Amino acid sequence: MKESQEAFVARRSKDWDALRDLLAHEKALHRMGAQAIATAGNLYRNTASDLMQARANGFTPDLVHALDQLAARAHSGLYSAPPYRLRAIAELLLFDFPATLRRHTRAFWIATALFVLPALLGFSTAFISRHAAMQILPEQMVESAEKMYSDGFDGRDEGTDASMAGFYIRNNVGIAFQCFATGILLGIGSIFYLVYNGLTIGTFAGLVTASGYGINLLTFVSGHGAFELTAIVIAGAAGIVMGYSLVATKGLTRMGSLQASARDIAQLVMGAALMLVAAAFIEGFWSPSGIPMRVKWIVSALLWLFVIVYLSFAGKARRRLRAKAST
Amino acid sequence: MAAGQEEPLDNTTWVETPEQVRFRYHVAGPTRRYLAYLIDLVIRGLAFLIISILVGVATGGGTNVSGLGTGMLLVLIFGMEWGYYVLFETLWNGRTPGKRALGLRVVKEGGYPLSFMDSVLRTLLRAADGLPPAFGFLPTYASGVLTAAVDKRFRRLGDRVASTMVVIEEPVRVAAAIVIDPAPTRAELDLLPARPPLSADEIEALDLFLRRNTLSEARRHELAAIVSPSFARRMGTTARDPLRFLEVLYVRIREQTVRKRDEGAPRTGAAA
Repeated sequence: MKESQEAFVARRSKDWDALRDLLAHEKALHRMGAQAIATAGNLYRNTASDLMQARANGFTPDLVHALDQLAARAHSGLYSAPPYRLRAIAELLLFDFPATLRRHTRAFWIATALFVLPALLGFSTAFISRHAAMQILPEQMVESAEKMYSDGFDGRDEGTDASMAGFYIRNNVGIAFQCFATGILLGIGSIFYLVYNGLTIGTFAGLVTASGYGINLLTFVSGHGAFELTAIVIAGAAGIVMGYSLVATKGLTRMGSLQASARDIAQLVMGAALMLVAAAFIEGFWSPSGIPMRVKWIVSALLWLFVIVYLSFAGKARRRLRAKAST
Repeated sequence: MAAGQEEPLDNTTWVETPEQVRFRYHVAGPTRRYLAYLIDLVIRGLAFLIISILVGVATGGGTNVSGLGTGMLLVLIFGMEWGYYVLFETLWNGRTPGKRALGLRVVKEGGYPLSFMDSVLRTLLRAADGLPPAFGFLPTYASGVLTAAVDKRFRRLGDRVASTMVVIEEPVRVAAAIVIDPAPTRAELDLLPARPPLSADEIEALDLFLRRNTLSEARRHELAAIVSPSFARRMGTTARDPLRFLEVLYVRIREQTVRKRDEGAPRTGAAA
């Protein structure tokens, strides 16, 4: 037995209007109290069944479309994503990020090689021939940098430190993100950025060393480098994982394979970004300070040790806890 | 747009919910999404301008902005570049001010709201979708548009990695019933069979045609003349005035559903 469309609309439109009104301030739907949420839920379910009925009875497309839209909007209002708490960032840093990285050691070492080998090549090239190095780096940049490192560091004013820290956050995290994102092109973008960054950094270091100020540069870089260089390599590794998931699909479709690796990728890039923020503060405030070289070296050694231990071991305790809980 | 009857079928996608309800989402096309991007770009630019003036006044005054102010500004640019989308898409359940202005929303492919990590992923991939940059820094999104163009649901690279899509979400009102003027007489109606032999699709097409009042009268007649003879033949009559014939036919069909109406079993609405 079929109800006419007119009668159907007349009977049901009161509920639709009520639902529409609730959705008008939909942003606060979850703050409107249990009563309102229950009402919205009821109205949504009834609207959904109205939609089925309208479709089954061959009611006019405008009605079906309007109900479609209403049900869809109520659906996105009612089902909201699990909230992301600050705790999740702590968990990411303490457990998930290092654990995920250890699941992708192969990509990590490939990325390291793609970064370190060009760096060594650039370094030796610059050491042997300044002329050759100038083909890689712009001369002006080299001269101003050489002047900076020849002077050594005896502390700057805090304002400059803060502005440089800001610059490093924007610049380096941006580079890391780009290094990662271009990995979508079957990994080629990430490989390019790793090699490119390795080559320029290596060449630069070679030039400064050849002019006899290598020790100043090493003192400057070694502290934040523990975080910064590692993070750039990790971002590149994440890009390689992403690109490789498009190549080796393990029986999934290419899209499916990409999406299956998405979680790991996101954790790696988020972890790398947080490491880069830490690096920016060290680079802005600690590295250029006038603290004696020996102290800086000791601190740098400790920072490297910390990064290595952190990436190798953090998060293992939780897996043991979980294993215990499940047995 | 009063009702979505002009929507071509190829930009809709079906979503099935846990309640076993299937509804359609209208996937947003390039123009809307690009406009939303431009709006967000302008908002970010203006916000940055205003805050940088404030920081300048508060810290150094005049043109001599202090180092701390510069540092904060650089962090702010970073936030505008990468944090803006994640912040709004997370807080506003898949919308940014630009998307909101154009009635767009990012949802998961299953129609669910996107999570924080999904938003992070699709924002990070902007570095690839935004290529190549104009003037060295302004993303043109050429590769995003290109990759989206070859996808059924118009997903750019970031959408594919995060399994999200951008849908159009506009409140649509139920359109008013079609009024035929002058109303068909009883005699006119009785010339047609009580149950006109039309399929559901044909009835739908008829409805869409009669609602489309943007066409000129001549064009309406022209279109009606194409289909009327075939309908009329099926019913063993002839359509002297093709347009009038379709109008009367429509009323006849509606009249038939009214007559069959089930008046028992009224359903109660939702608890208020």
